[in-house]
Amino acid sequence: MAAYPGMSMGEAHRRITEYLNRFSDAVSNQDAASLRFLLSLSSNSPFLLSLADALNTFQDSGRLIKHSDHYSQFSDILFNLFRSLQTYRLGNLFDSYQAFEKSANAFIQEFRNWESAWALEALYALAYEIRVLAERADRELASNGKSPEKLKAAGSFLMKVFGVLAGKGPKRVGALYVTCQLFKVYFKLGTVHLCRSVIRSIETARIFDFEEFPKRDKVTYMYYTGRLEVFNENFPAADNKLSYALTHCNPRREANIRMILKYLIPVKLSIGILPKDWLLEKYNLVEYRDVVQALRRGDLRLLRHALQEHEDRFLRSGVFLVLEKLELQVYQRLVKKIYIIQKQKDPTKAHQVKLEVIVKALKWLEMDMDVDEVECIMSILIYKNLVKGYFAHKSKVVVLSKQDPFPKLNGKPVNS
Amino acid sequence: MVMELQDTRVTIITIRSSSSSSLTILAISSSLTTPAINRNLITPAISRNLTTPAISSSLITPAISSSLITPAISRSLIIPAISSSLIIPAISSSLIPATSSSLIPATSSSTLTLPIHNLWEHIKTQTAGGYPSSGYSNQTTTWSDGSYANYTPHQYANYTPDSSTSAYSSGTVTAPSSHYQQQQYKQWADYYSQTEVSCAPGTENMTVASKSNVGCPIPGVSSGYSTSTSQAPPSYTPSWMPESSSSEFSSVQPAAGISSASDAYWQHGAPSSQIHITSPMQPQSQKPLDPKTSYDSFLDQQKAAYSQGHNLQYPATHQVPQSYQSPANQQVPQSYQAPAQIVPSSDTRRVSKLQIPTNPRIASNLTFGLPKTDKDSSTTGAAVKPAYISVSQPKANEKVLSNDAADSMLKPGTFPKSLRGYVERALVRCKGDMQMEACQDFMKEMITKATADGTLYTRDWDTEPLFPLPSVDAVNKDSLQSSTPGSSLPKYKRSPSRRSKSRWEPLPEEKFVDKSASVVSDTMKYGGWINANDKDRKPFFGNNGNKENNMSGMKFSPLDQKNASKNAQRPVKKQRYADGFNVADNCDASSDSDKEQSLTSYYSSAITLANTPEEKKRRENRSKRFEKRQGRTEGNQFKPKNAGAGNLYSRRASALVLSKTFEDGAARAVEDIDWDSLTVKGTCQEIEKRYLRLTSAPDPASVRPEEVLEKALDMVHNSQKNYLYKCDQLKSIRQDLTVQRIRNWLTVKVYETHARLALEVGDLFEYNQCQSQLKTLYAEGIEGCHMEFSAYNLLCVILHSNNYRDLLSSMSRLSDEAKKDETVKHALAVRAAVTSENYVMFFRLYKTAPYLSTCLMDLYVEKMRYKAVSCMSRSYRPTIPVSYIAQVLGFITARPRNEGSDEKDSDGLGECVDWLKAHGACLITDNNGEVQLDTKASCATLFVPEPEDAVAHGDANLAVNDFLTRTSL
Repeated sequence: MAAYPGMSMGEAHRRITEYLNRFSDAVSNQDAASLRFLLSLSSNSPFLLSLADALNTFQDSGRLIKHSDHYSQFSDILFNLFRSLQTYRLGNLFDSYQAFEKSANAFIQEFRNWESAWALEALYALAYEIRVLAERADRELASNGKSPEKLKAAGSFLMKVFGVLAGKGPKRVGALYVTCQLFKVYFKLGTVHLCRSVIRSIETARIFDFEEFPKRDKVTYMYYTGRLEVFNENFPAADNKLSYALTHCNPRREANIRMILKYLIPVKLSIGILPKDWLLEKYNLVEYRDVVQALRRGDLRLLRHALQEHEDRFLRSGVFLVLEKLELQVYQRLVKKIYIIQKQKDPTKAHQVKLEVIVKALKWLEMDMDVDEVECIMSILIYKNLVKGYFAHKSKVVVLSKQDPFPKLNGKPVNS
Repeated sequence: MVMELQDTRVTIITIRSSSSSSLTILAISSSLTTPAINRNLITPAISRNLTTPAISSSLITPAISSSLITPAISRSLIIPAISSSLIIPAISSSLIPATSSSLIPATSSSTLTLPIHNLWEHIKTQTAGGYPSSGYSNQTTTWSDGSYANYTPHQYANYTPDSSTSAYSSGTVTAPSSHYQQQQYKQWADYYSQTEVSCAPGTENMTVASKSNVGCPIPGVSSGYSTSTSQAPPSYTPSWMPESSSSEFSSVQPAAGISSASDAYWQHGAPSSQIHITSPMQPQSQKPLDPKTSYDSFLDQQKAAYSQGHNLQYPATHQVPQSYQSPANQQVPQSYQAPAQIVPSSDTRRVSKLQIPTNPRIASNLTFGLPKTDKDSSTTGAAVKPAYISVSQPKANEKVLSNDAADSMLKPGTFPKSLRGYVERALVRCKGDMQMEACQDFMKEMITKATADGTLYTRDWDTEPLFPLPSVDAVNKDSLQSSTPGSSLPKYKRSPSRRSKSRWEPLPEEKFVDKSASVVSDTMKYGGWINANDKDRKPFFGNNGNKENNMSGMKFSPLDQKNASKNAQRPVKKQRYADGFNVADNCDASSDSDKEQSLTSYYSSAITLANTPEEKKRRENRSKRFEKRQGRTEGNQFKPKNAGAGNLYSRRASALVLSKTFEDGAARAVEDIDWDSLTVKGTCQEIEKRYLRLTSAPDPASVRPEEVLEKALDMVHNSQKNYLYKCDQLKSIRQDLTVQRIRNWLTVKVYETHARLALEVGDLFEYNQCQSQLKTLYAEGIEGCHMEFSAYNLLCVILHSNNYRDLLSSMSRLSDEAKKDETVKHALAVRAAVTSENYVMFFRLYKTAPYLSTCLMDLYVEKMRYKAVSCMSRSYRPTIPVSYIAQVLGFITARPRNEGSDEKDSDGLGECVDWLKAHGACLITDNNGEVQLDTKASCATLFVPEPEDAVAHGDANLAVNDFLTRTSL
């Protein structure tokens, strides 16, 4: 109304009727794409925007809905959807969410009754809209000083949708999409532990064959479960899942690739695999560049500096502790460099690295560490099998194995 | 008449439940009841249930009533052949009674009751309808006590002739019937005499009622009952069954069979019953209108009678066979059988007794309800014979408050409701006469004092703590046990108790609660109608209570009823002693305590009250009825004002209910309390206070105000006593802060103090409690040692939760300011050392830990040392000097080797050696005499020993020695 103050009642009436007709046609023709379009509130399509204006001009849309049998059977869906559209257009996102949830509930009731899965696309739109609306409603609530709880409500609504889909019928292929929306909700809310039940049903229920799900859902699913594995510090599993996501995702969706790499790179680093610089450049993951550089050079100072510089970002994304653990690999690299230099000087004594040499090297890196501390780190390196050999306390010498003194991780995580 | 109507209703109800035997029957019953109901206040409910015009018709007029009855009868006739046949006998018996001795009626009644019970049971099993019917009966009962008594007599009288003619009269039956009639008459007479209500004549309605009353005389009835039960059960049973089913109808049938005479009787009876009913109704509403005491008394009586009758009827019909019998007697008698009617007043008691055994379902609830009624009756009257009669008197509280202690203590008009509730609560607690008396005395003093102080009306009796009471549980139990035998109480009890707990209660309570006592009666009726049995039961209580309230202002509200029902067990006993007030008290007193116990107590009380076995039976029956009713009807019954009575219910009920019943205040569960209104302001001046977990609303007298709490905190600070003492004191301080909702610097200080103390002794449980409180307190912007505690929090997460995500979120939540804080920096450094397993760093940080970080790290030292030694034994070859290990792993305080005294070194060294040995390390002494760790050998032998101070339950604080010191504090 604000946008089209001049819209006439007749025009408004025409637009509303047109929408209603398209809606009932889409349902009767089982045209999911059209239905999806009609439900996609946040798409901001001109058609829906003008409909919203029309609704704000023509207030008695409920009568129109009841007017014809074609739409009156969907009156619960349509009435609330109209309300949601109206309030959405007016910027009242809280009310919009409330109405949309009611509408979605009514839609689910209908969806239940449709035997075939033709309306899955529309349901996807619904699940997406409710999450996005909830997020925006929460932002509105938070800015008004109220407690944001709509996303939580959306989470429980999506659980309900999941229940509708999790059956033997053809609708089950839609379950993964809803699962992914749930993941997004839970990750946003920080209630990641709630993911577990959904994951369990997806991975253990016999009705689900993972390969039968749509590819994009599989990629999203793998991305989120990979992230969960990062939290669990289960790096090989995280590597598997994130790599799956990377290899199967749409190669043109660079934003998605970047999101995957954001977690995959630290995981790969922690199992000893370093990315090429161009990869970091291409996907704008420069925050990792120094980390990778530090690993290559054995530059502890660089690593610490990089971690400190991006601490907030790493903490937020949850990879801080993963990156911090790279320190041991950096030490390993440093010792290896010393070993190589010694070997160049005197191959016969190269396998004996004096502690004071290492301390001196660290001093050059402006790392002020005393002998005890370095001794401890060497001990840990040996203990973790990053260095093969032993430490002779009496002579303060690291005695390296003559064969493969610095074993590569080769995709295996550091012993913990 | 009213009685009859009520009975018919009841019967009708039962019929429905039984098998939906016939809609017509129901209709009849409804019609019959309707009039009574209308007059009684029941009207709305009736109108809903019953569409019959008869109701509207003047109840008072005998002719009308008769006409009404007849149709009802005819309809009832429609009811199954069995019922009709049964009814007929019953009727005949009833007819006979007039002439026959009271004994016979009793037998007949008993027999009748039995059949009825059976029928009822069937009905019950068959349909839920039974409940509704019970509800009806309840309504009737509310009036019934009085009215029943009245009715019975009338009907009986009328019937007697019929009965004589009828088959029932044959053999035992006939005799009973005659007895019954006589009894009834006697009862009526007694009733009148007892009630001393000359009301019958006074008013039109009253007159009718009075007639009924006169005829009813309790004494005769009671005797009749007892005999009847014992004598003719078998023969009667069949008759009873039918009768019960169509109790009113049965009467009609007799009329049919007998002919007009019966009808006339019926008519007479009906009018009387109607009148009674009306009168009860009137009492509540009329009291104001009718100045006449007689009226009131009549009404009261009638009400009481009605209620009793209802109760009896309900129980009988519904659940308990025995109870049914009694109910049947009461109710049925009026309508169907003479015997039952005869009994009414006395019968009611008997019935109650009977019911108790019979009403398994009703069980505790019913019993409760019955007890109340009994009590009421007893209180009221003191009425010569049955408790019922007495109940009716209580109704006339204004006139006759006297007997009951409670009544005497609190006259309805003169004392605030809250005080009544208080008294009720107090009395409900009493388990024995002795206690009751003591309580009454005590309360009299209190009230006198309050009156003298002028605080009688200003004091908040709802929140007034009850004075301590000696418990007589054992006695009660015994009494209960003894009481139980007669009836099948145990089984029933269980079911009732469950019911009583049911969630029904809350909603009804709410509705009803708001209503005033007068309303309560209405509500009672409503509830009875609606819920049938359950409601009825409760309604009965409620009615009684209401009556009482009106009269004495005791416990009339539904809540009271509920309470009564719950409390009923105890209350009943007490109530009798303590009068109506006691009943209310009982309600209040009825706490969450085992329902069974209450039931038992109830029974016992009932027993004690009842002088005669018959009375006992009656009481039991009543109680059973009540139980049933209560259980089922809880919802309806609950509302009322008398919060005390409703306490149990209310507790269970939602907070809303509680809020509504706020006045009562008697028994509110802590979780139900409206904290805003209940936030206390402490008055306790004691600095030292032991912690005791609150199980009820805080008592301001035991809560310390802020100034005192400050001193208490100082006292804890300066105390030389051990942690357990301090912890106890701090917890009590925290509790006092919480109940007073104090959240300021003092709160923070208390929690910080406690958290530190807990850390010092490694009490992570208490620490975590304090920490979480501190988190919210700091978030509210209250000043404190924020940084210190966020560091502790960090350390705690790192060292003890070992949760990656928690750690991340804790770290990401740290502000830049916090990261600059030395304590926090230290904590972060510790985290780094732990995640990298850098033991050297860890123990250096351990030595330099600020504040109590050391204490938190202490808890991790063992783990870190073990990890370090495992690491070293893997990476060092061939040996490591133990002195080095001792130094690196913090056994030796001085950091560099040459620092610190030799003594210390050697101490630390010895400790380290012991530790290593304890963990399975292989130690060797080299040529220089220095102890070395053989790393290669140790690699395979290291283990984590069981901690020496480990206790099976995992909490060293619970060690026996500590426990002893704690208890000796």
